[in-house]
Amino acid sequence: MATRQVYWNVEGHHWLYLFFIIALAIFVYGVYKRVKLWKLGQPDNRWKDVWPGIKDVIVYTFAHKRILKDAYPGLMHAGIFYGFLFLAFATAIITLQADFALNIFHGWLYLFIKVTANLFGLAALIGIVVAAYRRYIQRPDRLDNKPDDAITLVLLFTILLTGFVIQGARIAVVPDPWAGYAFVGQWMSIPLKAMLNEAQLLSLHVFLWWLHLALAMAFIAYFPYSKLFHVLLGPLNQFFRNRGPIGIPEPIDFEDESLETFGKSQLREFSWKALFNTDVCLRCGRCQDNCPAYLSGKHLNPKRIIQDMRVLMEETGAAVQAQNKVLAQAAGQEAAAASESEETEEWTGRALIGEVIPEDDLWACTTCRSCEQQCPVFVEHVDKTIDMRRNLVLMETRFPAEAQLAFKNMENNGNPWGIGWTTRADFITGLGVKTFEEDPTAEYLYWPGCSGAFDARNQKVSASLVKLLQAAGVHFAILGNEEKCCGDSARKLGNEYLFYSLATENIEVMNNYGVKKIITQCPHCYNFLKNEYPQLGGNFEVIHHTVFLLDLVKSGKLKLSNADKKTVTYHDSCYLGRYNQIYEQPRELLKAVGLDIKEMAHTGEKSFCCGAGGGRMWLEEHEGQRINEMRTDEAIAVKPDYVGTACPFCLTMFADGIAAREVGEELKALDVAEILEKAL
Amino acid sequence: MNIVVFIKQTFDTEAKIVLDGNGKIDANGVNLIINPYDEFAIEEGIRLKEKFGGEVTVVSMGGPRAQEAIRTALAMGIDKGILVNDPEVDNTDEYGRAQILAKAIAQVPYDVILVGRIAIDDGASQIAVRLAEALSIPSVSSVLKLEVAGTQATATREIDGGTETIEVSFPAVITAQKGLNEPRYPSVAGIMKAKKKPLQTLTLADLGLSAGDLSPKMIINEYSLPTPRQGGRKLAGDAAQAANELAKLLREEAKVL
Amino acid sequence: MAKGIMIIVEQRNLQIRKVSLELLSQARKIADATGEPVVAVVLGQGIDELAATVAASGADKVILIDDAKLAEYTTGAYTSVLNKLIRKEEPQAVLIGNTAVGKDLAPRLAQRLGVGLASDCTGMEADSNSFLTFKRPIYAGKAFAHLTSNVRPIMATIRPNTFPVAAPDAARQAEVVKEAAEIDAADLVAILKEVAIAASKRPELTEANIIVSGGRGMKGPENYNILEDLADVVGAAVGASRAAVDSGWKEHKFQVGQTGKTVAPTLYIACGISGAIQHLAGMGSSKFIVAINKDPEANIFNVADYGIVGDLFEVVPLLTEEFKKLVNE
Repeated sequence: MATRQVYWNVEGHHWLYLFFIIALAIFVYGVYKRVKLWKLGQPDNRWKDVWPGIKDVIVYTFAHKRILKDAYPGLMHAGIFYGFLFLAFATAIITLQADFALNIFHGWLYLFIKVTANLFGLAALIGIVVAAYRRYIQRPDRLDNKPDDAITLVLLFTILLTGFVIQGARIAVVPDPWAGYAFVGQWMSIPLKAMLNEAQLLSLHVFLWWLHLALAMAFIAYFPYSKLFHVLLGPLNQFFRNRGPIGIPEPIDFEDESLETFGKSQLREFSWKALFNTDVCLRCGRCQDNCPAYLSGKHLNPKRIIQDMRVLMEETGAAVQAQNKVLAQAAGQEAAAASESEETEEWTGRALIGEVIPEDDLWACTTCRSCEQQCPVFVEHVDKTIDMRRNLVLMETRFPAEAQLAFKNMENNGNPWGIGWTTRADFITGLGVKTFEEDPTAEYLYWPGCSGAFDARNQKVSASLVKLLQAAGVHFAILGNEEKCCGDSARKLGNEYLFYSLATENIEVMNNYGVKKIITQCPHCYNFLKNEYPQLGGNFEVIHHTVFLLDLVKSGKLKLSNADKKTVTYHDSCYLGRYNQIYEQPRELLKAVGLDIKEMAHTGEKSFCCGAGGGRMWLEEHEGQRINEMRTDEAIAVKPDYVGTACPFCLTMFADGIAAREVGEELKALDVAEILEKAL
Repeated sequence: MNIVVFIKQTFDTEAKIVLDGNGKIDANGVNLIINPYDEFAIEEGIRLKEKFGGEVTVVSMGGPRAQEAIRTALAMGIDKGILVNDPEVDNTDEYGRAQILAKAIAQVPYDVILVGRIAIDDGASQIAVRLAEALSIPSVSSVLKLEVAGTQATATREIDGGTETIEVSFPAVITAQKGLNEPRYPSVAGIMKAKKKPLQTLTLADLGLSAGDLSPKMIINEYSLPTPRQGGRKLAGDAAQAANELAKLLREEAKVL
Repeated sequence: MAKGIMIIVEQRNLQIRKVSLELLSQARKIADATGEPVVAVVLGQGIDELAATVAASGADKVILIDDAKLAEYTTGAYTSVLNKLIRKEEPQAVLIGNTAVGKDLAPRLAQRLGVGLASDCTGMEADSNSFLTFKRPIYAGKAFAHLTSNVRPIMATIRPNTFPVAAPDAARQAEVVKEAAEIDAADLVAILKEVAIAASKRPELTEANIIVSGGRGMKGPENYNILEDLADVVGAAVGASRAAVDSGWKEHKFQVGQTGKTVAPTLYIACGISGAIQHLAGMGSSKFIVAINKDPEANIFNVADYGIVGDLFEVVPLLTEEFKKLVNE
């Protein structure tokens, strides 16, 4: 039967358990130190959904779903990951056989282990070589190098290499009828046999065996002190991640008069999960590589924010420990301490906002969530940005001056431009649409949003949409002058108080009319009404116009001819795509009227923000390139006739970008509804 | 330093102006805001307090809704508020209101009184200067920059085509022009605190005034609305004709040149 | 018995301001209709030579108060002198231009006299009952108040450019009276230290009466000189749209719009600006809007009172010439 002698040529292997216990102790101490750091944060119950958590670990760790989306580093990682997975499996089986008297290391399992350990070990070895090549020769911008990176690579590399040489030495000495299964070991044995005699081979084997063992123990001991920790933390973070509607900030209860601080300005105000996040991040840089702010030359870098918070967490941890020591001493000295303890200064350390994270970085974020979408281990960046913006707005009132105008306009007239609220209904009613007051039995509420109601360019979109809805015989009405800004920009700019007042007023109006179903034409309104209003008691069925129109087309209620033979590139709005996974419906609509779709370099989940999200629509862009112009360049590059959008902000940004690039003759930015209307 | 800021609650700048059944301006459904120029006065008051210490009091006249304006000022950082709330106030003109205000302000010690240079509703720009006269103290109008040293202030004020610098001793009235500062946005912490700050409401009787003392000097015969503007007119002809026509229209029809 | 229409004539460096001539012209018309004389008061130092101009512009009586303390306007001194003069002369009405001086002086004077004041009027008519009625814009011109007073004198400040200036009649004779300046010490507490007339004729954007603004259609920073030429003819400020600022043609401080300055001039001339909502948010409350754009579909035409569809590089220089003609008239 196929097998081999375990611990061949090795005496006293039981010592390894002693070493193992020492390594484990170092490991446990390391974990304990980190756990203590995480516990500096606030409690947050993340055990709510266990099964979805386990499923996520299977999908995102074991099936590598997100990791492989970036093919080159993804495959590199897969080689290392699956390599070590199978090697760990092999080692476990051997341990069971040798020391737990489980006689299983023979027959097909033996051969299976032999071949997989060789195959995957080789894959891991290649993965590590590629990783080193990428990191130190190719040097992509998104990687920053620390000693830990090199140590880890060398450690893994030597563990693998020594393993194969050990195997080769054994095969060279003991004829193995199944050596072909251990093909790497067999290759190794050929030069070894040629160069060394049997005695030399035996000493080499035993030396490397112990070296291999020492390295493996070093691996265990080093694990929680290094990036290796991600092997454990990554899956845990996938398990603990936010599920349900994406990117919703925590509500603040403004009725609670005991609240004294709003937003977060100190590390310890964040939940343990936020601090945990900073350890989970292993600086792969996918976030940075997909951040429109970073790519357009702003100082903001999502990776750096997380890493800088990590450093602050360590500083805070050290200070808290030192302080506890002082307190303990003081308690020991009792009376004398009472007078002195007042003199011991409260440790404040570096300020999270300003010193650790520059304020400009917080305002540069478009909340496009590409960073989070690309992160293989589900680090959550955007909610932290919003929490800190809240502090700046609600407590410090320090924010870009332009935001103040938008805030005041929203307060006084319920729209960011400050156009008189009594004129909101004018344009839409001019299209023959009734208000809910006039037509309370309407099945759908049509929510044009501020842009659709006030902005001349987006009014054209409203006109197209209304025509399409009318043609399909949809019974709908608007709130008219009773509609207010949904609160998206206010909330994302950190003005939770303003959001709260806008949202509660909107909800009250809609509940009074008994609104059940809402059609929106702005993804920001869509996301807020659908996902965020439930926090404040507004529960409606909300449908984005592209989804609604597709249903109308599919059910035959909306009959469209083929539009002109044109090509279009569809720009995924962040709040429709990444926030709500609506990628296909707008494209299907465009195909339904016979248009050819050309995809831009960044598309779907990797779509590149237009630059207007997160309230950036109302802020000036002083640093670096303009994001909308970069995105327009991507559209120009595929030479379409139209850029199709499904968001008024994106439409505005593209219109500006097209004007800036002076390509208005060749390229038109149109909403999907406008394109459809041409085929009516 | 004792600082008094007089503020007025006005219609929102975007408010649609209509006349009610009696031919008066209809305030129904209109958003009310703090007169934007008064915000400069509030901000300057808070800054003076932050620099020199003391107390800032905001004084206003108006109906119960004016409390909102005072609360907003308190949220920005003003210490306390006084509201003269009496229906008789509506029957007074600038002359009477200056008297009311002078009486109300006499309730608190003051070194400097800050007021917006104009209220965007009636656009009269009288009260602050009349108040100074009623209190027999100097005033500086349309101030762009204010420097205070002890009881002495140096104010740079706007004049047609330039500025002038005036030295004045306290107490004095200063009217704020756009450019004096950038008013702060109230923090939510400030809004919460403002709910607990003192706000005193006074009637004319409390001030020892009766309607008789305040009978208006001006008579408003009527209000009217402008004839609706003609929709945008595109001028015909070649460039030279159009330019000529435009200049003529700006002078004769729009009367802006 | 109160008599006459008193015009407080404003002069700076011995130049009579245009609004004072406008008031004299209009007062002359009312005087001719009602029989009330026009009394002009001039304050300053070394002002004798102004009497003839004031007479030629319509005054029946010219009162000159010449004193070193009146050389520059100060609230206290002017109020002190005029209060005494008005109490002595007892005019039916006192009118002054709604200038920086008028806005500061009139309310102080009215309060001291215990009379009403109609400020910033854009209309004035003779009235058989109450002598004069005034029309003044309120709510930024979205409504008008029509008012008068039974208390004498009726005081008003009149917005410049409300009335035309009549051709001066050099043959007109007026009684010229010199009064001594009696200034109460209590009125001299505020001290004028310095007057700085802006070296640049171009005012601050937010304070300008007229703004000439250029957008993407300007094509480059070198072309702004044609806007500056136009602006300088009428003392306007020069602004820019975000597109022009983003292109680096103008500094951000010149930007008009949502993320720039919010302005509300009497006249806004938009050249090569398409009229995106972000721009309109910053200038939509301008009283009159002129658009010059080669795209007839540009949104700016939806808000403009007057529009010219054409090449701004052709239109603007022509407009500059037209404005020059008007100003020189």
